[in-house]
Amino acid sequence: MFTQQLVNGIVVGAVYALIALGYTLVYGILQLINFAHGEIYMLGAYLGIAVLAVLGTMGLTQTSLALSILLVFLIPMIYCAAYGVTLERVAYRPLRDAPRLSPLISAIGMSIFLQNYVQVAQGAREKAFPNLLQLGSFQVMGAYVSGLQVFILLTALGMMAGLHLFIQKTRLGKAMRATAQDRTMAALVGVDVNRVIAVTFAIGSVLAAVAGVMVGMYYGIVNHYIGFVAGIKAFTAAVLGGIGNVTGALLGGFLLALLESFWAGYVSAIYKDVFAFLVLVVVLIFRPEGILGGSGTERG
Amino acid sequence: MVPKLVRALLVLLTGCLLAVSTASAQTLKIGVAGPLTGDQAAFGDQLKNGATLAVEEWNEKGGVTLGGKKVKVEILWGDDRRDPREGVSIAHKFVNSGVVGVVGHFNSSVSIPASTVYSEGGVIQITPASTNPQLTEQGFKTVFRVCGRDDQQGEVASNFIKTKLNAGRVAILHDKTTYGQGLADETRRFLGKLGIKPAFYSGVVQGDKDFKPVLTAAKQANPEVVYFGGIHPEAILLVKQMRELGMNATFVSGDGVFIDEFIKIAGKSAEGSYISFTPDQTKIPEAQSIIRKHRERYRQEVGAYTIYSYVAANLILNSIQETNSNKGAAIAAHLRSKAWNTALGKIQFNPKGDVLESPYVFWQVKGGKFVQVD
Repeated sequence: MFTQQLVNGIVVGAVYALIALGYTLVYGILQLINFAHGEIYMLGAYLGIAVLAVLGTMGLTQTSLALSILLVFLIPMIYCAAYGVTLERVAYRPLRDAPRLSPLISAIGMSIFLQNYVQVAQGAREKAFPNLLQLGSFQVMGAYVSGLQVFILLTALGMMAGLHLFIQKTRLGKAMRATAQDRTMAALVGVDVNRVIAVTFAIGSVLAAVAGVMVGMYYGIVNHYIGFVAGIKAFTAAVLGGIGNVTGALLGGFLLALLESFWAGYVSAIYKDVFAFLVLVVVLIFRPEGILGGSGTERG
Repeated sequence: MVPKLVRALLVLLTGCLLAVSTASAQTLKIGVAGPLTGDQAAFGDQLKNGATLAVEEWNEKGGVTLGGKKVKVEILWGDDRRDPREGVSIAHKFVNSGVVGVVGHFNSSVSIPASTVYSEGGVIQITPASTNPQLTEQGFKTVFRVCGRDDQQGEVASNFIKTKLNAGRVAILHDKTTYGQGLADETRRFLGKLGIKPAFYSGVVQGDKDFKPVLTAAKQANPEVVYFGGIHPEAILLVKQMRELGMNATFVSGDGVFIDEFIKIAGKSAEGSYISFTPDQTKIPEAQSIIRKHRERYRQEVGAYTIYSYVAANLILNSIQETNSNKGAAIAAHLRSKAWNTALGKIQFNPKGDVLESPYVFWQVKGGKFVQVD
């Protein structure tokens, strides 16, 4: 049972962490909590279904599985990146110098807008996400692990490693770190701050899109509400680890999911969410900055 | 001299009064409320379609005869999104807009708080689907249901688990709602009478997607049967994740899972599950005409609660016409006074507002379809 709960928790944790990264990246640079981020994740899942439907009618899912899987991830990633950048351009940039409450309200508004937009466009019903990857399952120390779970974990870890390299090794990553440290100074030394912010939103959205598609595959069911709960959980994970801190988001994501999993398995499934937020409250009382402490994309 | 502002206000107020009185003279309003959007919208659609067909039939004949002349029927829609708070605010809205009767709500957790509002407002409420016993145990004269009760359903389920499935180790899960937990607890109570104590008992969070932690814990009890009190979105995920965790216990659930979505989305995992529901409605002779009309109009077969909703709307409208009144008390008394011929066969209400007969039977998912178990 212990190993099984560990597996359960790690897979969910990988998803939480991917979404949490989007919150933390944006917060690190703009000190803004992008509440519409959960909806980007939801859009990713819906786009995945749409792409699968198109590929299915084209017959590509039958002939070339590898290519279809690539497209199922790639197209939602591109679309969601565009959504993220547009979101920033439309809802946040005009308010960048406004009091901090204004962009927050704007974010909540965008979240409601996107949720209702998908509801109207796609219908209010649950949608089935066709299972593309029939990977089977195997047992490790009495725990059932499916190929899909391994796939999710590896993909998530790959994305995280890629993000780390991007922030640490590229010019744009350096510009991001500079902007996070001091926006005005960065602008003065010639960093195109608007571009950096747009890129940050695009990266966060790409990660959310990947998470959305993977969750769709994993649970096989998607509705327009999933962004809300996932967003709240990922936000909690980001705060738990220390919002603005990239490593913190990863730590927070895995920690939150594992705590939930063990609590639900050993103590009470009913109070799963209560426990998760209780942990958050306790951590914030003793470490208001989160476990790894405050903001700073620069610390990678 | 009266100030200008007050005069303007008076004019506005009279305007409102006129608008209200003319509207109520023109049409007879009934409300239809349920989860029209959200994860349970599939059930909401059934309520919507059934009631729409009933009202259209009346309006084709010119409407309901009230006070010697024909009055057209108008439906007011209420989308409660399975949320009790939404349900209560819809109930207030209905009462204030002069609705005579309401078809709804769908979820017991919504129907029960809303019933207080309807009762105070003298509005008839007939639910096509809320099965929690408490709804009709409150002593309200205006509340009725055309479906069964969970104490009946729980008894049938426990007998089925004991005698047909021969199971001794049962894990019971529920979604913490009035309906889900109510049904799970009734089943647990009746299982107890048969000498079976649940090997595992827990709630899950409605709207959650990952039930593997709780299922992993349930698996330790090595259950032969997993009984779930709840609605299909959670049931789909539960049955899928059970199989992914290597549990091959038989999945047994109630009327909240009797919907094609369960089989369509859960696929192979749902195969062999048992769901309790009423006997095959499509075999009832009186239901044939509505089934045909539904097929022509919506290009799909009736769902679990379409005919119930159709019957509920018809009962309200018939009783209004026969009592020649739009007063709740008179209509309610008349509804209880006799046996009604409906599309579901004969229906008679007891003083509480429950139907006298409501047999539950079990259906099995076999070859991607619900098949009634003999």
